[in-house]
Amino acid sequence: MIDTLIAGLLHGNIYALIAVGMSLIFGVTHVANFAHGSIFAIGTMLGWFLGAQLGWGIIPTLAAVIVITSLLGWIISVLVVGPLAQGPPIAALLATIAVAMILDALSQVIFTPVTRKFPELLPTHNLQLGGVHFGTSSVVMLIVTIVSMAALWAFLRFGKLGQAIRATAQDSDSAKQVGIPVERIRHLSFIIASGLGGMAGIFMGLFNSTINPSTGAIAGLTAFVAATIGGLGSMPGAVLGGLLLGVTEAFGVYFLGGSYRDIIIFGALVLILLLRPAGLVGKKLAIETEPMTRTFLGGTRPIQLPWFGNLALIAGLAFIPILFGPQMGSVIAGVGTQVFAYAIAAIGLTIIAGGTGQIILGQAGAVAMGAYGSALLSVHYGWPFLVTIIAGALIAAVICSILIFPAWKLSGHYVAIATIGVGFITVALLKVLEPITRGVNGVYGIPYPAIFGLQITDIRGIYWVNLVLMGITLLLVTKIMASHLGKTISSIGADPVAAASLGIRVTGYKGLAYAISAFFAGLAGALLAHQYTYIEPGQFDLNMSTVLLAIIVLGGLRSPLGAVLGAIILLGVPELLRTIFEDITWFVSIFPHARIIVYGLTLILIIRFRPQGLFQRS
Amino acid sequence: MKKKTLASLVIGLAFALSACAGQGDQTQTTDQAQDSPVTFGVIYPKTGSYAEYGRLFEQGLELAVEKVNTDGGIHGRDLKLKYFDTQSDPKQAAAVAPKLVVDPEIIVVLGDYSSSSSKAASPAFQQAGLVHYGFNNSATDFPSTGDHVWSPSFGTDSLMPVWADAIADTGAKTVSVIYIENDWGLQAYDYFADHIKTLGVEIVYTSAYPATPTDDYSPILIKARDAKADAIVQIGYAEGAQIVNTLRDTLGYKGPFYGGQRTPEFLDIAGKNAEGSILNGHFSNETTVPRVQEFLADFRAAYGVDPGDFNLSAYQAVIDLAYGINKTSPTREGVQEALQTVTDFPAYIGQADTFAFDQETRRLLDPKPGLVIVEDGEFKPYN
Repeated sequence: MIDTLIAGLLHGNIYALIAVGMSLIFGVTHVANFAHGSIFAIGTMLGWFLGAQLGWGIIPTLAAVIVITSLLGWIISVLVVGPLAQGPPIAALLATIAVAMILDALSQVIFTPVTRKFPELLPTHNLQLGGVHFGTSSVVMLIVTIVSMAALWAFLRFGKLGQAIRATAQDSDSAKQVGIPVERIRHLSFIIASGLGGMAGIFMGLFNSTINPSTGAIAGLTAFVAATIGGLGSMPGAVLGGLLLGVTEAFGVYFLGGSYRDIIIFGALVLILLLRPAGLVGKKLAIETEPMTRTFLGGTRPIQLPWFGNLALIAGLAFIPILFGPQMGSVIAGVGTQVFAYAIAAIGLTIIAGGTGQIILGQAGAVAMGAYGSALLSVHYGWPFLVTIIAGALIAAVICSILIFPAWKLSGHYVAIATIGVGFITVALLKVLEPITRGVNGVYGIPYPAIFGLQITDIRGIYWVNLVLMGITLLLVTKIMASHLGKTISSIGADPVAAASLGIRVTGYKGLAYAISAFFAGLAGALLAHQYTYIEPGQFDLNMSTVLLAIIVLGGLRSPLGAVLGAIILLGVPELLRTIFEDITWFVSIFPHARIIVYGLTLILIIRFRPQGLFQRS
Repeated sequence: MKKKTLASLVIGLAFALSACAGQGDQTQTTDQAQDSPVTFGVIYPKTGSYAEYGRLFEQGLELAVEKVNTDGGIHGRDLKLKYFDTQSDPKQAAAVAPKLVVDPEIIVVLGDYSSSSSKAASPAFQQAGLVHYGFNNSATDFPSTGDHVWSPSFGTDSLMPVWADAIADTGAKTVSVIYIENDWGLQAYDYFADHIKTLGVEIVYTSAYPATPTDDYSPILIKARDAKADAIVQIGYAEGAQIVNTLRDTLGYKGPFYGGQRTPEFLDIAGKNAEGSILNGHFSNETTVPRVQEFLADFRAAYGVDPGDFNLSAYQAVIDLAYGINKTSPTREGVQEALQTVTDFPAYIGQADTFAFDQETRRLLDPKPGLVIVEDGEFKPYN
């Protein structure tokens, strides 16, 4: 028992050190910086390179890593986050996700994906407490964590610059008026936090002994949870949250087993958000307004095509596989089926995101529910395709609405953060509920789509099935948004206070809007299941949720038609590019990384220069 | 008005892009000249969290192509591989599959790394009559998609009993078992547990650990250690190195550990902590099989490092397909026919000299997997 406590504290210390940086950035800029985990991972790899390859000692390695990661933080702040400072925080959050994609891909190119042994820059196992050995490295890390926490806290509290930072955090416009160099202070927070992140990366390497460029991803996300639990913006909160989460994870896994890790971590997140949304230490919510309202949506309107335009679009898409002959037609259809399935989920997402202004970062959970619902009903009970996909969509709508319902009492960023948690928990439940879902074994032998008894196995056939369903989704969602219900939902997005004072039950309508979104996400999941014929919980990861959100950011949050366009650009175009250039060897060899980098850059540029999306006018 | 123009522009762009894609089509449909290379398609993780395995596969595959071409190619034509990155992600595998299906040059598909990703791609290949050769897919039900899906890999149903026998032979009466939480790990665990129980060995502690890379395994390892079993067994992949390091360095465990992966990286990272670990392994550096000795020498010459199991199984896949196709014809039908009729594929992995396929299960007939033991920082043959 005591061993588990010690192991949990040692591990939690890493979360704490990463969380301090995240919390600092959030406190100063109100940006949830998802690139912080990548900076941290790069710190680990740099530490390996300098320590193991160049044979540097601990001090020069630390110094160099801190300098490089601070520089990276400064670049991110100046080029990406800074210009978005006046926009809604959610725009910056999405931009940092894009930055994380780029950094991770670059790190894979530079350091290659090999798993390596981290150099023992400090003794790692020379001390013992109970049955657990640890090293000077862990002691130094704890000291660094506490010192940086205390220093930052004192600096923010008493230092002149610190007061300026707090003033900026509280009201950046007033701070500017009294002459505080707001921009420089924002940059400074990124520089300090990223330097700390790089340092945490080295300690992670020492703690872990085994590293590769993707080691940091999980720790980064968990540290974000820790910062939220402690209270975003609070330094002592970050440390407390990190240590607590480390211990909770250790005991949870000790008693329940390794399968329950995600449920423990993200369950703790959701629980804290419900009971104490400001975190354990936080006094009040750092952001009170809805992130999307009035800023992002105000005055924008989706571009709509006349009815014959929509019809021509669908008809045109339907002809593509025929136009290019059976071979190229099938290649396009293979990509197209995915594009349409994602588009269906994204069109649904415009109702909750564009309508009510709530950002959902866990929609993969709803996709998974639909996929499993439809797959299990057809495999176990032999229900026909058209019935199971609707049933799957309904299952997704009901279960996900229940799971997410408590989140509606939250506001601002916290809804988005809570939905990440709900997404993870949904997928973790699919793993744990093995008797029903077959757990990590997945469900296979899911039949191909069949319409009135006619089995469709040709990929072009599936393409047309998905296309027709996408057309119907487009029509339904456009009608819903134009109806009285749609107007009510939109009024919540435009101004929740005004909507509430008009007697609109805000929470109820948010729930309803989400249920409709989850229905279409579930429909998309069902289509994917019958196309893959095999599903397992791991397919429905955070990446899927991010892609769905990126699609509607690209197309325009309120534009169903934009969702189609976004899906074509983000999923379709990269695949087609790969097909076009597949004979050029050098292109093919850099393609996989280049694709992710281009994908990230596109997102950043869209968010920066056309925040209303491609298919919306301001 | 302006907005509608923009909208139609954008749609036009989408069509134009698809049209560009169409152009590529025409260069592809040219008839295969007699001297054009024979092409195998490969789906594998070039990027993503499994990219390390993709790299190991590529090394083995490329070396094999070189050997096939030096030895006269396939029916006198050169062999070439076309690679498709899937990140070993079922979504991407399913999206990529139709591309291989419609590429007339590709006569057989190799890969993917994980069986979940392979299973997502199989239906498309099966439908098209294109052989899917899952050389790394040891999940026993992998070929169940259809008669064109084959696996030359040892299944967990043969790997685990052999290993369990060896562990029982060391005299262990109780074991703590931890296993990776994915379809492979779950299946492997079941075969392992069923078999070792029949040998009178008791499993005193069991836990799965997450398949996604985790930075701290100590909570389950503390329990595995405190169960006071005669040995700790890990069923999984490369994370075995980190697990044994945590067990020994952090938790002070001194007893026997069986697990890890037969790769040079495992020895490199686990160091002396790995000493004494018995594990499934396709070959040892002290092999006396001439063709494996040749592979070893060629591999060291090409890459300057010792090969591991993943290099060899990828290598064998290409060599054997070329061997079979040389007896039939370099077409999709020829590949299927070769797997159905050839009964003496040269074996590089395991203890047999040649192998054939069980035509019912499309897996190895009478599999004989090998074992290795870590001694003096090297993999030595066990038994």
